[in-house]
Amino acid sequence: MVVYKVKRLLIIKQRLGGVVLSETNNSLSARRSSSRSGSANRKPKKNLIPHGIMSFIIFVVIGLWFASKNPSLAIFWMTGIAFGFILQRSRFCFTASMRDPLLTGVTSVLRSVLIAFAITSIGFWAIKYGAFVQGLPIPGMGYVVPVSFATAIGATMFGIGMVIAGGCASGTLMRVGEGFMMQILSLTFFIIGSLLGAHDFGWWKENVILKGKSIFLPDYLGWFGALFAQLLLIVVLFVIADQWEQKKAGNMSSH
Amino acid sequence: MKEVILDCLGEACPVPIVKSEKAIIDLEVGDLLIVQIDHSCAMKNVPEWARAQGYNVEIEEVDDGEWEVFIEKTK
Repeated sequence: MVVYKVKRLLIIKQRLGGVVLSETNNSLSARRSSSRSGSANRKPKKNLIPHGIMSFIIFVVIGLWFASKNPSLAIFWMTGIAFGFILQRSRFCFTASMRDPLLTGVTSVLRSVLIAFAITSIGFWAIKYGAFVQGLPIPGMGYVVPVSFATAIGATMFGIGMVIAGGCASGTLMRVGEGFMMQILSLTFFIIGSLLGAHDFGWWKENVILKGKSIFLPDYLGWFGALFAQLLLIVVLFVIADQWEQKKAGNMSSH
Repeated sequence: MKEVILDCLGEACPVPIVKSEKAIIDLEVGDLLIVQIDHSCAMKNVPEWARAQGYNVEIEEVDDGEWEVFIEKTK
């Protein structure tokens, strides 16, 4: 085992050495290709494709069963699986997007979250504007809730909690699915916290939330103005994030 | 030239990166830091941080969902 480790280390070091020699801006691709060619010493891995095919069949069967009971359940099932799959494969993490800029100065995840916000803004805008133009009731207006101190208090608590727990709601669920045992603990307390929150929600609604004012941007800025304002804000945040990363990188390399 | 193995197995996301940041301070130029992680998020941000610092980085998936990140301190 020790010999194996040392051998592998030597290979890795040779690879790193090779990278130093050919260190250019394109070294990432050089590194990638070298790690593929030098994988002879890696432990043999199980072939997971049969598991994938099996799971896919099971998903489809359960989906069909849901569809026979209630079509919207089948839709939830499909979107849920798609969301989880994309989240896991892309290593998309809302916690990292907020934490890494401060911790390491890397804002790539934050910028991808901003892009996701921009895309969903356009999508939701299209759905709502489409309904408005046709004179139909605008969907999702129940989610236009007052802005109040509860938002700020909740956001702060959630922020502290997610950094300690190592993931936000979706991240925790995704990593429990991956088999990361520690976050089963996070999930347990996430459920307990949600129950406590639901228990006290009435008080918050009565005493804090309803004192705020609910703002639906299209009422104030018009439909196109609202979309423009939202996208402008996202672009500004994106530019700030980019500048922040460059500034942080500059600071770190100087000492 | 020495190698330091940093065991972060079972540690959730911010911990591996904070530990790596601390561990690399004590290393000499040319030393190798090997971070063992099994948190998929750390697998992304530890290498990203190290590359942003200008270190040489190699990722090896030693087992399903278990990685070793090799960081060579270059400066």
